[in-house]
Amino acid sequence: MLHVSVISPEATLFEGEAPSVTAPAFDGEVGILTDHAPMVTVLGKGTLRVGGGPSFTVEGGFLQVVDNQVRVVTEKAAKA
Amino acid sequence: MAKGRELVGRIKSTENTRKITRTMEMVATSKMKRAQDRVVAARPYAKALGDVISSLYNAELAESFPLLRQPVTMKTAAVLLLSSNRGLAGGFNANLIREARHLVAKLEGEGITVELHVVGRKGAGYFRYVGRELASQRTDISEAPHAADASSLVDGLMGRFISGSLDAVYVVHSVYKSALSAPPTSTQVLPVARPDKTSAQKDYLLYPSAEAILTELLPAYVRNAVYRALVETAAAEQAARRNAMKSATDNAGEMLNVLRRTYNRARQANITQEIAEIVGGASALTG
Repeated sequence: MLHVSVISPEATLFEGEAPSVTAPAFDGEVGILTDHAPMVTVLGKGTLRVGGGPSFTVEGGFLQVVDNQVRVVTEKAAKA
Repeated sequence: MAKGRELVGRIKSTENTRKITRTMEMVATSKMKRAQDRVVAARPYAKALGDVISSLYNAELAESFPLLRQPVTMKTAAVLLLSSNRGLAGGFNANLIREARHLVAKLEGEGITVELHVVGRKGAGYFRYVGRELASQRTDISEAPHAADASSLVDGLMGRFISGSLDAVYVVHSVYKSALSAPPTSTQVLPVARPDKTSAQKDYLLYPSAEAILTELLPAYVRNAVYRALVETAAAEQAARRNAMKSATDNAGEMLNVLRRTYNRARQANITQEIAEIVGGASALTG
């Protein structure tokens, strides 16, 4: 399982466990499953989907994966 | 009983004042709680940004980022003072203004041209009163500031810093330590302070590259520094108002005690005197 947090400057929008995350990276969608290699990527504009959880529209920011922790950090995020 | 009537009037007016200050205290307390929550909610974002920046940062990359540029000679600096739109918050605005004046005096003492940007009616009012020209003033930022307010404040300054027409940007704000302690402080937001501790470097896959990620993150970091200053100042304002209104309420209570005591004493003296007069009159008749 992944520990996912979606963080905007004003609040932590989501925090919890999920089997997968699909995020709009700057050059296309990126999918993350358990035991993904440590990664940092810039996000573009699109829909962020937390597997079995909520979706968010995001624009800009970045996504960081390390030790099954996924942090999505973006200035513009809203629940879709 | 002229003195008694006068006292009744003062007692009533003090009671009314106390009612107002007590209400303001309660309003400020509830606003402060919400503002405090915003301060806490802003922490994870700042931490996440700081973590990633310090893990990507290295000295070679630093040379290529205009936001990290350390000017050789400082010629112009911008000071952004955050103050409140409303008063009756004790020394809150006065303290912030004093901090800003010291900073401006210090910078000008070093021969730097300082332009002053002010948020909040109170700060702007003071500098208008002393006749200092303001580069800009904003009074439209509410007591619940948004991230968008921060970017509208600092984006222009960031652009000018990159182009080289500004050499430093300072923000004068309150640091919300607790409800009782929120000292005014000045923070240099530009140039961005280079992260000193490079945290345990993980071998990250970087898309598209460390440079591109930092290009995206550094402005976000600056905007977030200003956003945090805004929310902390907003919380500090409510805390200061609560404290000021609490002591005003307490003082009104003390004043009421004194006034009531004086009033009762005057009333009793009056009664005693009347009895003495009646007794005197009666004994004159029988005697």
